[in-house]
Parts: sequence; C-alpha cells; structure tokens
Amino acid sequence: MNDLINDLYQEIILDHGREPRNFGECEPHNKSADGHNPLCGDSLKLTFLLNDQNIIEDIKFIGEGCAISLASASLMTEKLKGKKIEVAEEIFKDFTNLVSGSDEDLKVLNEEDSLYALKGVGGFPMRVKCATMAWHAFNQALKD
Amino acid sequence: MDDSKTLNLNVRKDFPILSKKILEKKDLIYFDTAASAQKPNTVINETNDFYKNHYSNVSRGVHTLSVESTFRYEDARKKVQKFLNARSENEIIFTKSATEGINLVAQTFYEKFMQKGDEVILSLIEHHSNLIPWFFLRDKYGVVLKFANIQPSGEIDIDHFDSLFTDKTKIVSLTHLSNVFGTELNEKVISICKDKRVPILLDGCQSAAHLKIDVQKLGCDFFVFSGHKTYGPAGIGVLYGTENLLSEMPPYQGGGGMIGDVSLEGASYAELPAKYEAGTPPLVEAHGLGIAIDYMNKIGLDNIIEHENEITKYAFNKLNEIDFIEIHGGDNKRNSIISFNIKNVHSHEVSSFLDVEGIAIRAGHHCCQPLMKHLGVNSTARLSFGVYNSLEEVDKFVIALHKCKEFFNK
Ligand SMILES: Cc1ncc(COP(=O)(O)O)c(C=O)c1O
Repeated sequence: MNDLINDLYQEIILDHGREPRNFGECEPHNKSADGHNPLCGDSLKLTFLLNDQNIIEDIKFIGEGCAISLASASLMTEKLKGKKIEVAEEIFKDFTNLVSGSDEDLKVLNEEDSLYALKGVGGFPMRVKCATMAWHAFNQALKD
Repeated sequence: MDDSKTLNLNVRKDFPILSKKILEKKDLIYFDTAASAQKPNTVINETNDFYKNHYSNVSRGVHTLSVESTFRYEDARKKVQKFLNARSENEIIFTKSATEGINLVAQTFYEKFMQKGDEVILSLIEHHSNLIPWFFLRDKYGVVLKFANIQPSGEIDIDHFDSLFTDKTKIVSLTHLSNVFGTELNEKVISICKDKRVPILLDGCQSAAHLKIDVQKLGCDFFVFSGHKTYGPAGIGVLYGTENLLSEMPPYQGGGGMIGDVSLEGASYAELPAKYEAGTPPLVEAHGLGIAIDYMNKIGLDNIIEHENEITKYAFNKLNEIDFIEIHGGDNKRNSIISFNIKNVHSHEVSSFLDVEGIAIRAGHHCCQPLMKHLGVNSTARLSFGVYNSLEEVDKFVIALHKCKEFFNK
C-alpha cells in the first residue's frame, strides 16, 4: 500500500474515526462553538466546561465527518481534557503547524503525542481543513 | 467495447495533461470532468497564438490588431450560436461563467418583470449557483421561492412541480442535467412552463458538452453554461436568452462597450448583445471556447455522447454489482455522471485513496447542500466522464475501489 495513504491513515486515526471518544455534549458546559467545513459540508459541535482555575474540566463533541475530521476532534478532546487554557492554546498553535507540514518549531507537542498521527495530512493539502475543523471550533469558543 | 476504445485512443493524445503522472508514477485517470473538463491541444495552442499574434482590445480601436481580436471574439459568438442553435447572435451574451449568467437573469428579470410577493420556482436538486442568486431576490425584495420535490430517481416530481404554479409565478429556473445524478430534465417540465406562459431558465452547465443542445427545440427562454466544462477556458460563460426578453430587460452592469451615447446627464444603451457586456470581455477565453466547440464538432457531438453513454452505462452496471456501493438515484438513464458512496466510508477517504492511485474523482456536497440533506448524506463521491475516458479506466477504478473498501474496513 502506498506510503502516503499509510501515513495519512495510521491505525490510531482509523480507530478514532470509527469510534470517536468523548462523543456527545458536555452537561453542564460554559463554552461551545460549531465547526464547519463549507467545502464538504462536514460539521461538528464542540462543548466544554472551563472551571474557575481556567482548566478544561470536560470536553466533548458531536458531528458528522470524514475519518480525519472525526479522529482529529476525538484526539483533540483527549488531549485537552484537564489542560489549562494557556497550555491548550500552545497545543493549538503547534497542531496547526504540524498539519500544515512544519514540525520544526513545536513548543509543546512531540512525536510521542497521539496528535502526531495527524502529521500525514500535510501530504494532502486539501485535507488540512478536515484536521483543523475541531481546533478552529475550539479557538472560536474561547473567543466568544 | 472496441468502438469506444478506438475513439478513446484517438482523442487521448489531444489532451496533454493526460500524460501527466500522478505522484510521479501513476497514470492519470480523470473522472472529474463535471467539475471542469481538461483542455485539448487546439484550445491551449490557439489561446496562446491569440496572445502572441493577434491580441488587442475588442470593438474599440480601428487598428489591425483590434480588428483581428474583434473578429475572433465575434467569430466565437457565431460558433456558440450554432452550437446552441439560437436564432441569432444577438441572443448570445458572453459572461464570465454560468454563475454570472444566472445572477444576470435573476437581477435584470426581477427589475423588469417582478415585484414583492412574486414567485420563482426552483427545485431541490439545484446547484448553489442556481439557488443563491434567487435567495438574493428573496432577501432583498421579498420574492417568494418555491422548490419542486424530486422522486427517488432524482427526477423532478412533475405533479408537485405543476402544483407550485400560481398567478404570481414569474419565472422557473432548473438544472438541465443534474450534476449529482446525471439525469436529464424531463421535457414535460418545459412544456408545462410553456402552457402557463412562464419563462424558464435552464442551467446547462452539465448538459452543454454531454447532450445535443437545441434551444429552439427545447423551448427554453434562457440557457446558461460555462466554457470550462465544455473543454474551453475558465473565465468565459454563455447566457442564451430570447431576443424578446433580453431586449426588454435592463442592462446588468454599466461600463464601456454597453452604451449607445453618453452625456453627463445620462446614457443610452447599446443593442444586443453588447448591452449586457460591460467592460473588456474575456476575449481570449471566448476565442478558446469557440475552438473547444470546433474540437467537439470535429469529433462529432453524437460520437462523444455515444461514447460517454457507453462508459456511463458500463460503470453504472459495474458499481451496481458491488454490494458495498450505494448509488444515488434510480436506474434511469444517466449522462456521464454517477454519484455513489462506499457504505461506512466517507467520500473524502475514497477520494484521497483514489488520488494516490492516480484517479481523480470529486468528493463532497457538489454545491448541492439542500439535496445532500434530502438524500440523508453529507457528501457523496462522484464519477464523471468526458470524451477522453475509457472502459479500461473504469476497470482500473473498480479494482481501486475494492482496495479502498478493504483498507478502510480492515
Ligand atoms: C449544475 C451546475 N450549475 C452551475 C454550476 C456553476 O458553474 P460555474 O462555477 O462554472 O459558474 C455548476 C458547476 O459546478 C454545475 O454543475
């Protein structure tokens, strides 16, 4: 099988794509945003609970999408749960760099991270939006 | 199978891009002609030649190059007129795309013939290009939009369509060939419009290179298409309209070339077709479209259609045999387009997987989100064929589909 395809669809991506973790709505939650990819119609809704120490206590999503977008959302929720907002924002920046194909100046992510599995998206520029949809929703929720 | 092989072998070499290797080793199989068709050498070379040897602005100067440019631009209009069998060149307006043609009609038809509360009939299978320009009228002027239902086959439900008419219905706008199902609009729809004396616009984006178009026989009042889907350049489109309607409707944009006489107090407008062509037009692209029409005529539109029909039928039957494939629409005739899904695999995955095999197909909502919602999917994969495709390519595609299914369901 072609390397590009194997890089894009690592086992962990297929697994999270088929069975997304943290799938649902957080109750209670105080932050939420919708993610949408107008190119293909994929969409998701992200909800999370930010406590008074600025820690993401719980985070969930529901949505419809391709394996890349679902796996990315699922891995994101796993990664961000329990993190302080400042750290989460650093991860967001690193992740955006990673999937656009540059993993040189990463501050908090490293090869051990499950999010690293999405690096293969860099080989398919048209799919970067699939991988970043959940993250943009997260970023949007922080702003609102 | 032999005939189509011969036809295919003859034309493939006309399209230089088809010898490109995808990811440096895979032969390109281009199954995305419905999104945009590839260009034959003649179109590429002739547009080049225009810039090298004949280029200037059109209809403005009197010098040699201006004459040569104007001749080519107007000659393209004649070719389009024959291609659509319009009565006169005055009925052929060059636009930048089908999208612009629909916007032009929506705006100017409204201005002349409609007011708040008047109604437009559209359908569930329309491309966003044939929805949003009408949404603008709804949002800005309080026009009422009605949408004809479709049958499971993908065809418009005639009884429902018929029931939508009232004395406020002013115009109907429908796709001539669905870019999702590949099904052709039932002629009855047009005769209903005729009976009710309501003008109808046909969105011919997908039909123009895949069906024989005769606007007089069809009896439509407007017909739009884009050059880039008919083997011509992007940036040029065509609006056909009956001289009656085009004469009565006001101009769309103002600018050079569309005026009769201008003083600071006001202006009179040019005659058709210049009235609707404000500003310097995409003249080289228009010429390129004319060359693309020559190309189709040289091969013979009947041959092209027969060839595509054969491939479409072959692909449909092959896909229909595969239990993990769901084809959208019914068993009725399709014209060069088939939409499908691999069960439990998102169309994006199918498209990325096939891309690596050198096969270009479209995945997504095809700019038909209301239809996707109706089908209960959020995207589909779409195969679409052109003059350069072959049965062998379909065979390779089917093998790749099996590999794809295996990969994602392992
Ligand atoms: C049925 C239909 N209508 C309209 C369009 C819009 O064409 P263009 O973007 O060239 O204006 C398309 C192209 O995708 C189409 O398939």
